[in-house]
Amino acid sequence: MIASREVIAKNVFLFCAMASAAIVLSILLFMIALGLPLFKGSASFSLLTGPWAPHQGLYGIFPMIAGTLWVSFLATILALPLSLGTVFVVTGLGGTRLRRILGALVRFMTAIPTVIYGFVGIFLLVPLIREAGGGAGMSVLAAGIVLAILISPTMILFFADSLLAVDPSYVQAAKALGASRVQRLLYVMLPKAVGGMASGFILALGRALGDTLIALMLAGNAIRAPHGFLDPARTLTAHIALVKAADFDSLEFRSIFACGIVLYLFTTAAVVTVRLMERERKAVP
Amino acid sequence: MNHDFAEKMVVIFSWMMTFLLCLLVTIFLGYLLTKGLPSLGAELIFGQADPLKAILGRARVFDGIFPAIVGTLCLVVLSTALALPVGVGSGIYLAEYARPGMKKLLGMLFDILAGIPSIVIGLFGFSLAVFLHNRFSDRFAPCLLISALSLAVLVLPYIVRSTQTSLEELPARLRKTALALGATKLQNIAYVLIPNALSGISSGIILAIGRCAEDTAVILLTGVVATAGIPSSLLSPYEALPFYIYYISNQYMNPAELSKGYGACLILLGICAALFMLAYGMKKQLSYRMLYRA
Amino acid sequence: MAKISLRLLVFLAFFSISAAPGMAGTLDAFKGQKGTVKIAGGTAHIPVMQEAARRIMTLYNDIVITIAGGGSGVGIKQVGEGLVNIGNSGREPTPEEIRRYGLTIHRWAVDGVAVVVNPKNPIKYLTKDQLKDIFSGKIVNWTALGGADHLLTIYTRDEASGTREVFWEKALDKGAISTKALFVQSNGAMKTAVANDPYAIGYVSVGHIDKSVIPVALNGVTPTLETVKNGQYKVARGLYSNTKGEPAGLTRLFIEYLFTPEGQQIVADKGFIPVK
Repeated sequence: MIASREVIAKNVFLFCAMASAAIVLSILLFMIALGLPLFKGSASFSLLTGPWAPHQGLYGIFPMIAGTLWVSFLATILALPLSLGTVFVVTGLGGTRLRRILGALVRFMTAIPTVIYGFVGIFLLVPLIREAGGGAGMSVLAAGIVLAILISPTMILFFADSLLAVDPSYVQAAKALGASRVQRLLYVMLPKAVGGMASGFILALGRALGDTLIALMLAGNAIRAPHGFLDPARTLTAHIALVKAADFDSLEFRSIFACGIVLYLFTTAAVVTVRLMERERKAVP
Repeated sequence: MNHDFAEKMVVIFSWMMTFLLCLLVTIFLGYLLTKGLPSLGAELIFGQADPLKAILGRARVFDGIFPAIVGTLCLVVLSTALALPVGVGSGIYLAEYARPGMKKLLGMLFDILAGIPSIVIGLFGFSLAVFLHNRFSDRFAPCLLISALSLAVLVLPYIVRSTQTSLEELPARLRKTALALGATKLQNIAYVLIPNALSGISSGIILAIGRCAEDTAVILLTGVVATAGIPSSLLSPYEALPFYIYYISNQYMNPAELSKGYGACLILLGICAALFMLAYGMKKQLSYRMLYRA
Repeated sequence: MAKISLRLLVFLAFFSISAAPGMAGTLDAFKGQKGTVKIAGGTAHIPVMQEAARRIMTLYNDIVITIAGGGSGVGIKQVGEGLVNIGNSGREPTPEEIRRYGLTIHRWAVDGVAVVVNPKNPIKYLTKDQLKDIFSGKIVNWTALGGADHLLTIYTRDEASGTREVFWEKALDKGAISTKALFVQSNGAMKTAVANDPYAIGYVSVGHIDKSVIPVALNGVTPTLETVKNGQYKVARGLYSNTKGEPAGLTRLFIEYLFTPEGQQIVADKGFIPVK
């Protein structure tokens, strides 16, 4: 009977969708379940604000939260001018051929594996910073710079999308009135695209928050929160990669689930914020 | 006149930044090629073993990256095979059957999944392995299967989104014709919509493959090791190319090993670049959107 | 013609027998065996593990040996949980660990833990007090010790490391390690880090030391194989392979192999002190 086949098919697809959704939720649940003893034992507050000193029984992940914030924000702030400048050229200031080549180059950069960025960073950038800056070389700065280069293509493509989505008739009108390329970009496209670009910025920040390899390879992984850009740091992501060694039942081990939960919440917050911003933008005519 | 100055500044600034970006990429690629090209060759991949015998599985490779390449290949094939049915099914559901409210909710969940850091997904896979080990059988441990499952979770959003978007973008004319001629919804999907959306779906799959090939964080926690030879079973540890690169970067024993590391970088870069160009070539528009929204 | 061919045959036969890696005799024990041995844990052990595995796997295609690092803590934990067959540790498992996991320990080498600096660093002698001040963060610049004017970079290992445990207990007398210290994940990584950073100081297994790093004499005693062997250099430890209960099958064969003359020769070749 054709009807029952239809129903079966629909249910199969529904099942797929539900399974996928379930996976998202179960990731969070698994982490809460496994991290729970830590939340019960020590006060949650000291978990998030205390220092990491397993020898003394202290499992605070504050230094790692600080490390994540220092590295990601530095990376995003460095990536911003780089991306803005490039996207201006790609969407307005450059000639058609240049735009196409640049576009291809930027897209190609997104295919470069993260571990290779880290590899080159260790041997090219770290010695440079060490000699010029005086510290260990492995630092917030090293990780921040390489991470900025990593997320720039993503940011550029987001920005380009927003800028190019501006109603071409506005741009044409400006052109007809004699506006130069820069003027069209600055006064017509940019104001309209700012909302979308803000979303792109936040999503790039989310990407920087979640990166593991760059910080693991380049930031030194010290257990103290960084006080300056030349200080070494450990991010939440690197911490998870480093501490898998310990006793499964120990509080030290469970701290990585706390890290996982914090990361999950950070990135979910970024995604939700962006969705809300988009909704608000679309609501305004 | 103030405006004039500001505009000029913007132009100069933009060109400088673009130049900077190109310069950085050139230095990056140039450095890699200079250091890596000399070491490319049979010895990099097969070490002291005979290439033909190694490929046939007759000889073991100890100081070449062949096991790592095979490990990466197995990972990619397994995880794509796992993610494909669920991903395409979910995409079809979202594009064809879901109500607007459900679409928005599921859409947000998938966005969240796409945003979860890969190490957290690796953590999930690791906890799954521990759970299975404690609950069911001692034979469960971080291994190829667990890694493949975790990678499948990682790339699921790519496949779902590309399926959903390429189905939604089909022109209404195409959508409605078969239905008007009396086909059922399922027949429409199976015989008309999917075949037409295939290039978009495939490009999503290829992007997923590329992601699996380059990922390091997930496999770090779910079973990759430095020495394992070619994977002997689904439940055994394995080697992988990105991990090899990571491992060499922080503990190479001599300049020869470091040189091999650079060579491995070039090979991995080559694989990912090739996959990327394939996906790009398949459906330009869709790749563009998938790449940066992911 | 026949005579020449016979000679040729004998020559080839002789040549192929003697060309077999190692002495086929000791590895005969593995003949006909199949299966997997999973090894994890101490990173100092890895060179010996890899060489032994290579020799065994080259001769016998049905045997698979996988080796992972992670540190002594990981080795003990994972073998205790049944996740691996052999858990290596660079420190003796505590009585508590032995009791909890039912471990059987096998010590097949003696090793030391040396303080190392970069070859470009002129400082090759330290007193124990100076060492403690460096690692606790009291001394921050090499000039304080007569070296270059640059901040020190301390490299350390994570808590699971047996090398760290031994270093902390015997060289630092359980002193503090600065929270600004950079973390590396294995002996190999420590060596690479110190070799690449002219202002680094770290600690590594004596067996791992090669021309890329310089061992620092502690209270006048330079860490070498001799001084570790005769007890002059006090920061020493055994290299252990631990199993859950008594080892059986392939695992037992592998461990026994480590104690054979051939196995102990590998130990010596890699820079450690054989126990036999």
